[in-house]
Amino acid sequence: MSMHVFQLFINGHTPNSVEAVDTLLKICKENLNDNYDLEIIDIQEYPEKAEEAGIIAIPTLIRMMPTPVNRIIGALNVRSRVLAGLGISSMHK
Amino acid sequence: MTIQKLETGNTSFDHISHGGLPLGRTTLVAGSSGSAKTLFAAQFLAMGIELFGQAGVFVTFEEQVDDIRKNLKSFNWDIDTWEKEGKWIFLDAAPKEEIIIAVGDFDLSAFRIRLERAVKRCNAQRVVIDSIGSIFTQFHEEIHTIRRELIQVALTLSRLGATSIITAERLEEYGKITRFGVEEFLTDNVVLLRNVLHNEKRRRTIEILKFRGSNHEKGENPFSINVEKAIVIIPLSAMNLKHTSSDERVTSGIAALNKMINGGFFKGSINLVSGAIGAGKTLMVANFVNGIRENNERCLLMAFEESSEQLFRNAAGWGIDFKQLEDEGLLKVICVYPEVSSLEDHFINIQDIVKTFKPDRIAIDSLSALSRTSSDKGFREFIIAFTAYLKHQQITGMFTSNTPLLAGGTSDTEGNISPITDTIILLRYVEMSGEMQRSIAVLKMRGSKHDTSIRKFCITDSGAEIGNQFEGISGILTGNPMLIKLE
Repeated sequence: MSMHVFQLFINGHTPNSVEAVDTLLKICKENLNDNYDLEIIDIQEYPEKAEEAGIIAIPTLIRMMPTPVNRIIGALNVRSRVLAGLGISSMHK
Repeated sequence: MTIQKLETGNTSFDHISHGGLPLGRTTLVAGSSGSAKTLFAAQFLAMGIELFGQAGVFVTFEEQVDDIRKNLKSFNWDIDTWEKEGKWIFLDAAPKEEIIIAVGDFDLSAFRIRLERAVKRCNAQRVVIDSIGSIFTQFHEEIHTIRRELIQVALTLSRLGATSIITAERLEEYGKITRFGVEEFLTDNVVLLRNVLHNEKRRRTIEILKFRGSNHEKGENPFSINVEKAIVIIPLSAMNLKHTSSDERVTSGIAALNKMINGGFFKGSINLVSGAIGAGKTLMVANFVNGIRENNERCLLMAFEESSEQLFRNAAGWGIDFKQLEDEGLLKVICVYPEVSSLEDHFINIQDIVKTFKPDRIAIDSLSALSRTSSDKGFREFIIAFTAYLKHQQITGMFTSNTPLLAGGTSDTEGNISPITDTIILLRYVEMSGEMQRSIAVLKMRGSKHDTSIRKFCITDSGAEIGNQFEGISGILTGNPMLIKLE
């Protein structure tokens, strides 16, 4: 399976941010083995990166690879929808 | 009433708003699509930079930054340079090509942080967010979240202390303020822009609905968009009748008419000449123009029916040399089709000419032609604004209007204008014994005695001749002249 590259924009330790990080890490671990690259960006620390990527909402997850690039916003709390949004089959282990 | 205002730099808006936008607060600018919201907002920023050296942040939720840059270029605002100098910052929050889905709760803290950063980076005193409706469309499934988050954005703006404009869409020109009900939290200051289609004519207006804790003009004011000044408002409601009225008389250009009106028109008065086609209106105008000779005045002639060649030739036929007057710099003749621009644009154009040419007199031939370009309401407002303007400038005006009937009758134009004119002169045909004779009468003259008789009026090679009273005839003004037997 192809390599997945993600950027996840969060805002410090807000509940939505914490939940998004947890869920995403879990998905990566359980569904992508080690075949992924995840960059977690805290906009408090790196506001210029939020600017560059044109981020409005927090949390925002960008799937850079595989293309096409797409974005999921929100706390990612419905796992099946996140998987669908990222194009990862949940059957895949 | 102690809220300070920030002068926007758009003089006409500062006029109707009694000084500008509420300082350090957010104003909601709502309008239907195509009502010039973006332009209004952009002008606010551009004027701030051009006139007051105040930097600005332009947030776009809708149009792409490149498109905005391109669209605003036509107004001669050097946004590229301002961006380089750090006076104008675009904050791009426009929709991206990428697909966005929402899973779970989110907030707009990234946007708020970016906004704050931009404002601080250029020390912005002015902020524009255009337009708030688009963010609802971007996140259409999460309207409640967006509404909650926009309240946060409004709080951020208020904490930053910048004077800001947030634009929002309306679906109807006369209905609820905005489409997504943002007025629930942006409620203190509301400006409405309208673009109403009525009788096949578009009419743009601006209305300050409210400025909490502060005064402003009420009601709709028409505005126009032009390349040099962007949005120019014609402040109807701010017109006042405080102008001074002069006792000084100026000549009508016809000695016999001066006699009928007790010495001449008052300086700064508005005088209407009403008549059917060929009744001698343009002749009256030519004499009025020529009257500037007496006191070395200057006159602006706006002709909406004839070309200047025609005008000059006709005047020459009555012994009046327009060419000479023009060469001496006393006369300026502008001949345009009324349809080339809107009434508002004509008004702005005339104001511009008045500013540079500084005429003592203005003649408009004819108002009826000008009235074709607008709705009745628009025309009435134009006339009110225009006459108030002329009086303010102490310019003596002569307007002509066409009556549809050859004999008798009045025109719609007159219905609109007669209450605000100082003098009305009627030129009427009189059908007598198989001949069309012309007549002249002074219907009213404010603040002065005048001749009440209906006199013979002839057009000869040497111009206008006013003769004796029509004796023994009645019914001229109703168009049914009858001989009365004199005992």
